Amino acid sequence: MTLASLLAGAKHLRRRRRVGWLAAGVLEGREREEALAHLEACGRCRAEHDALRAVVAAMEADPVREAEPGVPLAFLVARVEREVERSLAPAGRPRWWLVALPAAAAILAAVALAPRLVGPLRRAPEAARAEIPPAEASPLVTEDALARIERNLAREHAVRYLSEAGEVLVTVAATGADCDRAEERLDVGRAPERSRELLERRALAVGAGAGDEAVASARGVLDDVELALREVADLPSCVKRADVERVRREVDERQLLMRIRLMTRELEG
Amino acid sequence: MEPSQGGAGDRELMARLAAGDREALAPLMEKHYRRLYRIALAYLRQPDDALDVVQEAFVKAFQSAPKWDGSAEAGPWLARITVNLSIDRWRRNRRRAQTFTPLAESDHAASLADAGPSPDRRVQGREAGERLAVALRGLPERQRAVVVLRHYQDMSLEEIAQALGMSLGTVKSSLHRALARMRVGLAGARP
Repeated sequence: MTLASLLAGAKHLRRRRRVGWLAAGVLEGREREEALAHLEACGRCRAEHDALRAVVAAMEADPVREAEPGVPLAFLVARVEREVERSLAPAGRPRWWLVALPAAAAILAAVALAPRLVGPLRRAPEAARAEIPPAEASPLVTEDALARIERNLAREHAVRYLSEAGEVLVTVAATGADCDRAEERLDVGRAPERSRELLERRALAVGAGAGDEAVASARGVLDDVELALREVADLPSCVKRADVERVRREVDERQLLMRIRLMTRELEG
Repeated sequence: MEPSQGGAGDRELMARLAAGDREALAPLMEKHYRRLYRIALAYLRQPDDALDVVQEAFVKAFQSAPKWDGSAEAGPWLARITVNLSIDRWRRNRRRAQTFTPLAESDHAASLADAGPSPDRRVQGREAGERLAVALRGLPERQRAVVVLRHYQDMSLEEIAQALGMSLGTVKSSLHRALARMRVGLAGARP
C-alpha cells in the first residue's frame, strides 16, 4: 500500500464522517458543497447518506415534535407553585403563626374573662372593691383586639380550606396515572376522600368568617370550590378518563385555580 | 429551534425569579413549557414522565435562578435542566424496570399516539414512533440528548454545545455516532 493510497483513504474517511453531518443538516457553505460533490463520486457514501437521511426523516415525521402537554398550563403552574411552596417551607415545621394564633387567642380570651370569672368568687370588702375599676372600664384586651384575632382566625381557616381544595383539584385534573388501562380509568388516589373531609370543614371555613369583609368577598370562589369538590367527592378512586376530563374542563372554564390563588393571597394580606 | 420570544423578556423574568418573585414563574412557563415538554417526551417517550420532568424543571429553575448567569440565554439553560432531569428519570425508570415488568411496546405506542397533533399523524406516527423509541433507547444517554436537541428542537450545534456543556467537537462526533447507531437500530426494528 502506497503513501498516496493511505492518504486518499484517510481523506475518504473524513468525507464519510461529513456525510453524517450532511444528513443531519448541520453542514453549511464550502463544507456542504464538498460533501455533496463527494456523494456524486462515491456510491457507498451516497447509500449511507440516504440511509441516514431516512433516520432523520423518521424523526422529522415523529408526532412528538408537535405533541401538546395533556394538561392545561394552569394546572402545571399550580403544581409547580405548590412544589416551590413546599421546597421553601422547612420540613416538618408548621408555620409559627398557625400555632401561635390560636394559642394567643386562647390566652388573651382567658385573661380578658378572668376578672369576670374570678370576681364573683372573691368577695372583696366594699371599700376595696370600690377601688378596683370594673373590667369594662379598663380591659386588658380590648374588644377590637379580640375581634381582630377572630377575624385573623377566620381568614386562616378560609385560606387553609381554599389551599387544600386547590391541591385536591390539581391532583384530579393533572393525574395521568392509569389504574385500569383496558377501561381507560385513571387513579385519583385519596382526592374523593379528601374532598369529603374538606366539605365537612366548609362550615368552619365559611361560617367563622361570616362577618368578615374579606371572607365574605371570597364567597363566590368558595361556592364554586364547593361545587367542584362535590363532583370529586362522588368519584371513585379509580375514575373514568372522561370524568377526569369533565372536572378538568370545569375547573379550567371557571378559572378556579387562578381565583383560589388570588383569593388566598388576598386573605393572607 | 422553536421561537422562545426573545432573550430580553426571559432575562427579566429570570432576574425576577432570582430575586424570589414567584409571580415570574407563570409567564416563564407559558413561554417555555411546550418546548421543554417536547424535549422530555422525545427523550423519555412517556407523556406522564415528560410532564413530571417539566414540573421538576421549573421548580429547579426557581431554586437555581440565583445562580443563573445573567448574560446567558434562558432557553438553552432551561433545556439543559430538562435534559439532565430526563436522564435522571430515565435512570430511575431503568432501575425500576429491572425490578418490575416493563410496559409492553404496544402500550407505549398507544400512550404516544395520544400525544400526536391529529388523527392522521397519530396513525402514521404510531409505527414510526415505536421503531424510533427502540432506536433512541439504544443510544447512550448523552448521544440521545444531542439527537433530541438537534432533530426535535432544531437547535444548532453551538446551541447544543452550550445547552449540554459539551465541546463543539464532542457534539459533532456524538451526533454522527448516534445517527449511525440509530440507522442500525431502525433497520433491526423493521418488521
